[in-house]
Amino acid sequence: MVIIRVLSALLLVVLMAGCSEPGFPKDPDGTLLRATGGELRAGLSPNEPHTSAEVAIIEDWAATIESEVVWTEGAESELFELLKLGELDVVVGGLASDSPWSTHGAMTRPYGEVIGPDGKQRKLVLATRLGENALLVSLERFLVEEGLQP
Amino acid sequence: MSTAHEHLPADKRQLLGRAVRLQWVSIGIMAVVITGVGLVAGQSQAMRTALAEDTLALLPPMVFLVGVWRTRRPRNAKHPWGHHRAVGAGHLVASAALLVMGASLVWNGGSGLVLGERPPIGIVAFAGRTMWAGWLMIVVMALAMVPPIILGRLKLKYAEPLHDKVLTADADMLKADWMTGLATIAGVTGIGFGLWWADSAAAVVVAVSILHDGFKNMRQAVRDLLDGRATPVDSDEPHPLNEELWRIATHTPWVADAAVRMRDMGHVFHAEVFVVPTTSPTLEAVEDLTARLRASDWKTEDTVVVLTSEVPADIAGRSRPAG
Repeated sequence: MVIIRVLSALLLVVLMAGCSEPGFPKDPDGTLLRATGGELRAGLSPNEPHTSAEVAIIEDWAATIESEVVWTEGAESELFELLKLGELDVVVGGLASDSPWSTHGAMTRPYGEVIGPDGKQRKLVLATRLGENALLVSLERFLVEEGLQP
Repeated sequence: MSTAHEHLPADKRQLLGRAVRLQWVSIGIMAVVITGVGLVAGQSQAMRTALAEDTLALLPPMVFLVGVWRTRRPRNAKHPWGHHRAVGAGHLVASAALLVMGASLVWNGGSGLVLGERPPIGIVAFAGRTMWAGWLMIVVMALAMVPPIILGRLKLKYAEPLHDKVLTADADMLKADWMTGLATIAGVTGIGFGLWWADSAAAVVVAVSILHDGFKNMRQAVRDLLDGRATPVDSDEPHPLNEELWRIATHTPWVADAAVRMRDMGHVFHAEVFVVPTTSPTLEAVEDLTARLRASDWKTEDTVVVLTSEVPADIAGRSRPAG
């Protein structure tokens, strides 16, 4: 069938494009490119005992892309507004994967687990700017490579 | 399912039996596809929407099976026209499902564009290896497109010979299904190239075509339920049997003039043939004409002849061929 043939051709093209990573996926606003060898704008909403570990994760990851982290401390709500506006690149704050902030930021895959106040298991995540998928993929790959998963 | 469809000729009964089997197979396959997409969807809102839309595609096969089951019942005093309208009701439900699917796509894609939503797509880790989750979505959607393409083509083969409009709506739904899959593939690929709006834009583009099919089916279903003139499946033209019955009647020596009104009951028609006799015909002559009209096609089994001194002018016009 013609449709099937067109589809398999399409798939082949797409998979070939996949070999050209890491240029793929791209950031709509080129955040990862800008941060590489430059500045990474990170937001910190203190929430111990998680945030010390999270700051270390971000610093270590930034080192792999030769980026210098500039930290902004603030309330979670304020930081996520800045993240949405594109004035921050990442936010840490002991965030759980079911955090309602997924409208303002892209949650990474979980790097750890914690028992919440209701006795249920919560997965700990970091947040990156929505749609900046190269940035998200880079941070997530770092988490996997470091074995940071629940 | 036994086929006690006495109103159908043997070959059509066999065809209907095969269509019923195809629908059961179709429901089974689509259930597997939906489960597969559901497992990959995870937290992705876009994939979850695709899942909800896939579930809608189960509706047309279901109303088809319910309709066929219902139309098996013979006509009786309580249901003097039989239960054929179950097919028309099924057509209405199937077209509503199409409209809901189109509207959902327009809403989700449109709001994504207006609000400037940028879909995040991260990685998946598998056996110590990682890859961009977009690749997985593309592969799954490409696989999920194959069953609807094949099933849709198979179902269209049954629609015309069985005169079943639920099957045409079903085929349109399956088309909507694989087009949405194609849109997701294009959209995710676009996102990979840094075009955040690609997924929403692709959804809106296919939604236009789905809404068009939905409106078309809805219009046809409502027309048939409101006793509009019978048409072939997926058409607004008069069904050729309108003219065929008129021709049989007017070619009868004792008939001076005739007019036909024919409505689609679902699978079969109900027709009234008004004839103006030249002389007073015998009862045998009228019954012979009725028998010939009924024998002209399996769908015209329920045809009555009405003797009149003048054909009803308001219905005559269009059932008569030009010139």
